[in-house]
Amino acid sequence: MSQSRQINVSKNGVPVTAIVALAIVFVAGLFVVGFDQGHIFSLVYGEEAFQDLYIHELTHDMRHAAGFPCH
Amino acid sequence: MKTFLFILIVIASGAAAGLIHGGLNLIFVEPSLDQAIGIENQHMFASGEEKDTPEFWIKYDGYRTWQKSGQVLAGGILGVSIGALFGIVFALSRNSLPGKTDIKKALVLAGIMWLTIYFIPFLKYPANPPTVGDPETIVLRGILYLVFIAISGFGAFGFYKLSQKLKTKKLVAIVGYAAFIGIAFVVMPENPDKITAPMDLVNNFRIMSAFTVSLYWLSLGVILGSLWHHYKPHKEIIPFN
Repeated sequence: MSQSRQINVSKNGVPVTAIVALAIVFVAGLFVVGFDQGHIFSLVYGEEAFQDLYIHELTHDMRHAAGFPCH
Repeated sequence: MKTFLFILIVIASGAAAGLIHGGLNLIFVEPSLDQAIGIENQHMFASGEEKDTPEFWIKYDGYRTWQKSGQVLAGGILGVSIGALFGIVFALSRNSLPGKTDIKKALVLAGIMWLTIYFIPFLKYPANPPTVGDPETIVLRGILYLVFIAISGFGAFGFYKLSQKLKTKKLVAIVGYAAFIGIAFVVMPENPDKITAPMDLVNNFRIMSAFTVSLYWLSLGVILGSLWHHYKPHKEIIPFN
């Protein structure tokens, strides 16, 4: 039995799935380290997360060191 | 292209370069951060928000140790994130990048991306140590910084594509980008915060910060280029029937 499979590939031969997966990694990682002010944990802990700023505090030193705006 | 291998190489090189970055920051950037946070503590004592007691310092030291471990962890996360962008651009542009080996190609791209999405934005909005930023303006500063990075990155990409389409020399694209980013540099608003910390501390922090970020980009280029060279994820899998 013959089988035909179609894989989406961009014209450079780079699989679209890989590009999409890596683009998600890029945006999520950048947000966590550079910009989160309690947003991610607020999904679980609600308003409290905006007071605790757990991720902001944990990534604080790298946030400054890598040049992201902070305080 | 071998999809899984490609993603694995990109993530591994980003994580490795990011952990190097975080480790280097412990040595080169943390002294400035400690100094700046020391100034913040003095402000808190002066305003009566905190008291200069042994209990305060025990709590503070524990907290800073935790934050410094976060420096390395965040280095890994940021490394993977920026590495993912680098991997996408490298895979798409590998055939047109100059250089005979993958390491040279990766280093050329790392240099271009370092310049356009890190160093030029850094010159416009330089990194600041703690005590400098006003919490009220953090969203505005975040938007300005991101917008400028996007303008610079897409600008460089746009001028490259334009020169390809018009079949002009690469130098035309470089001059076009330089003029474009020069205008954006002047037009974009300044960082609204006033610097109240000693300028020596701020300058030292900025030099160290730029130094370790630059080493991150260098490591990323070398590691991704070497892994790519070794595992060749671009080679198609040849099916045998």
